[in-house]
Amino acid sequence: MENNQKTPILRAQNVEIKFDLRGKILTAVRGASIELYEGETLAIVGESGSGKSVFTKSFIGMLDKNGKVTGGQVFFRDEDMMKYTTEAEWLKVRGKRIAMVFQDPMTSLNPVRTIGEQIAEVIIWHFKVSHAEAKKETIEILKKVGIPNAETRYHQYPHEFSGGMRQRVVIAAAIACRPEIMICDEPTTALDVTVQAQIIQLIRDLQKELNMSVIYITHDLGVVANVAEKVAVMYAGQIVECGTVHEIFHEPVHPYTKALLRSLPQLGIRGHELYSIKGTPPNLFKEIKGDAFAPRNPDAMDIDFEEEPPVFQVSPTHYAKTWLLHPYAKEYAAQIQERDRKRSEEAAAKPVDAFDYSNAEKLLEIKNLSVSFKARGGKFKAVDNVSFDIYKGETLSLVGESGSGKTTIGRAIMRIYDKVEGDIFFDGEKITGKQTKQKMKELHMKMQMFFQDPMASLNERAKVDYIISEGLHNYHLFDHEKGRKEKVANIMREVGLSPDFASRFPHEFSGGQRQRIGIARSLVMEPEFVVADEPISALDVSIRAQIINLLNRLRQERDLTYLFIAHDLSVVRFISDRIAVITKGKIVELADCDELFAHPLHPYTKALLSAIPYPDPDVAGRNELLTYDPSMHDYDVDGPVWEEIVPGHYILGNQKELDGYRRELGL
Amino acid sequence: MSQQNEKKITLDPVKFRAAVFDHMRSEDTGYSNYSYWKSTFRTFFKSKAVCALVILICGIILMSFLYPVFSDVDPTKRSLIFMDWNQKPSETHWFGTDQLGRDIWARAWYGARNSFLLGFCIALSDVGIGMIVGALWGYNRKMDPVMIELYNVMTNIPSTVYLVLLAYIMNTSFLTLFISMASRGWIVEARFFRNRILSIRDSEYNIASKCLGTSMWKIVTKNIIPHIISLIIMEAALCIPYSIGSEVFLGFVGVGMPVDAITLGNIVNQGRASFTQHPYQMLLPAAILCIITIAFYIIGNKFADASDPRNHV
Repeated sequence: MENNQKTPILRAQNVEIKFDLRGKILTAVRGASIELYEGETLAIVGESGSGKSVFTKSFIGMLDKNGKVTGGQVFFRDEDMMKYTTEAEWLKVRGKRIAMVFQDPMTSLNPVRTIGEQIAEVIIWHFKVSHAEAKKETIEILKKVGIPNAETRYHQYPHEFSGGMRQRVVIAAAIACRPEIMICDEPTTALDVTVQAQIIQLIRDLQKELNMSVIYITHDLGVVANVAEKVAVMYAGQIVECGTVHEIFHEPVHPYTKALLRSLPQLGIRGHELYSIKGTPPNLFKEIKGDAFAPRNPDAMDIDFEEEPPVFQVSPTHYAKTWLLHPYAKEYAAQIQERDRKRSEEAAAKPVDAFDYSNAEKLLEIKNLSVSFKARGGKFKAVDNVSFDIYKGETLSLVGESGSGKTTIGRAIMRIYDKVEGDIFFDGEKITGKQTKQKMKELHMKMQMFFQDPMASLNERAKVDYIISEGLHNYHLFDHEKGRKEKVANIMREVGLSPDFASRFPHEFSGGQRQRIGIARSLVMEPEFVVADEPISALDVSIRAQIINLLNRLRQERDLTYLFIAHDLSVVRFISDRIAVITKGKIVELADCDELFAHPLHPYTKALLSAIPYPDPDVAGRNELLTYDPSMHDYDVDGPVWEEIVPGHYILGNQKELDGYRRELGL
Repeated sequence: MSQQNEKKITLDPVKFRAAVFDHMRSEDTGYSNYSYWKSTFRTFFKSKAVCALVILICGIILMSFLYPVFSDVDPTKRSLIFMDWNQKPSETHWFGTDQLGRDIWARAWYGARNSFLLGFCIALSDVGIGMIVGALWGYNRKMDPVMIELYNVMTNIPSTVYLVLLAYIMNTSFLTLFISMASRGWIVEARFFRNRILSIRDSEYNIASKCLGTSMWKIVTKNIIPHIISLIIMEAALCIPYSIGSEVFLGFVGVGMPVDAITLGNIVNQGRASFTQHPYQMLLPAAILCIITIAFYIIGNKFADASDPRNHV
């Protein structure tokens, strides 16, 4: 295929992996091929269920018990590893020559042994050295992965490390044997954005320093642009396109890759509909005919439904599996390209007015809100004296890392907690404290919430019909049974689900469909205000755009006001009018969306902005990564105040800091 | 543009034009074939031994309740003829007769029926009361100190002392036995259910119901109980052999049912008196008892395993 002098260090050919799942055969990987060269970083991108994780696990013989490689070869330095039969053969490769870093650092570390011992053990096992030598080596490695005070931390247990530090320890254990290949399986998915940026940086540095080859598995295109040299896009168990990071991001040829990139909210223009991939990923229990992506591709050709496309070479480093590259399709492909180009030009030409705050009414006022929880005898303040307003018709985003208290604010507004301090006013009326039944009913109808996890937010034992009409039943919002059914059918159609689905159970739906059921459940109450608690962060990239478009459409049609809770600043930029940044229970900055991105003032906001992985290899890694240390504030003498520094731009700081911020703005 | 592994099939250029986009087709996934109950029962009945035990238990229960229909042997009919006493197992008396000439086979089935009745009643009250109290307990933090004390007191008194005392104070009867056993078991179940409910009380789907204004009663009955129903079944299944065993024990120490009542406890107890001469009088009814209790335990535990979604592979 390739006329290159270099030979690949790892070469997988037509690997097929099948799982026996409750008596049914699931083909997770359907003939995937890949080549990894020495010293390069290859990212495998795909949605959940695309088989990316399973595919790489087969390189080290770590498939689950019910899974089996049923075809293909994996050559590691010209040795076919699929011929291995015993665990002993695998152990010679696994950990020593090919190491793996998993998503959740806590599951890869033993909680009852010190981290130093765990790494030293690996070294002793593989290199048969003395304990003292191994210890010395371990401390070296811990230093290398950026753990300060390595000598003391050697004797500490995993629970004494933060999430990011733990992942560094796992990486240290992985590189302890100087592997030739390091496979990172979503190593930063469980981490906060700022920590993620540091880990990516670390992996990049280590790769260069140790001259390893790295396979980086992720679903996040932003991370890919930051970390990879080569990218393989996986869909329904096949590598559909592979090329250098610039080729994939700038000249994608496979319709799936194109659609994936176009549906990224980071690259969208606010106020316009985001390009969205229709439908849901295919069911791998069924046999797939032709191109797996064809049913979701509005531009699919007849041939796509009949024959599986072969691999077409675009450039020496770039190939894709799509019929669009066939000579017969030349004319059609050119047509599509021309049309897409026109569309994007049209979209760019149509500017959208920003939200007009000059005569906006306040819908919700939050004054000095604090929420505390009892924790181990003491009190833990999850939300600490927070005040802000939400205007009718706007989308206010609340952005923060895990544990910042953003969800707690959302739930406090929904009156989930019995006791909160401070006041919340809705439409001028106080809604905290005891309310009459009539008032509660009104509030339940006017305020609703969307949830994060589509798997956990639906009652598994109830039919969709019951789930959606739960609120209708509670307040008898229908005259007769027929009216209720009609309401359910209408709302299902509105969120893009067939009303026939009403008699099914939630487990029969995919994540995106379940999220839409959850949205329908809230919308059927016809609320004015919705708390959207990270409604897209648990969804696959190809589904996100659907939900974002749905939320935007509903907002326009129903005149909704959103409080949008998120951890990802880049996604929020596409949908919000104003953004509030929250950390450790305190809102530190609140401003207009564009203003915040143009003039971030608070050091935490700056750190957050610098850490966003931007899905463009030309932009990625250009910004310097900033870190935020709360101890930089000197609030002992001069306490912080919540100040409107310029109209609409609020910030938390003491007088000295505020003067500094004013200087920064040139005031 | 080079082409790799060119197919042998001839490609029709006409096929290379836009196909009709079918919205429904793109949504068609049938994402999961997973259904909780289906998977639970498939896992449960996967083992042949479990199937056999379930059939066996069903057979024994049916037999014990239908025995009076099949047979007209009176289990209380004593015989004054010396020859009828202490007979060895034979064609007419499968399990032999006791020292009063009563047919042990018939007595065993009547006894099993009473034991089952007792077991079912206890299981119903323990699990029923336990579930209601557990639900209240799980939702009401204020009950914690009182309930935990009560739990500690009740579970730390050895159950035998407690059972013997209660049975001693009241007259021996089915009701006494039921009260003495049921007054204690519920709190263990209540605590078990409380812990389970606590773990799912704050999951997102319950918060969603709260946001929709669903009443607590409805959340418990519609959201929580359907999620722990398999645990309820399992607990009930394990309660039955425990109460049958307790009854036998109480009969054994002489504070169980009245002597003339036919229960497995009384039969075993009476057989014990003549165990040295006629061991079969105790061993055969005891064998039926063992089969019932062991089968129930195995079924209960296997069901517990099967109802755990982690085992649904």
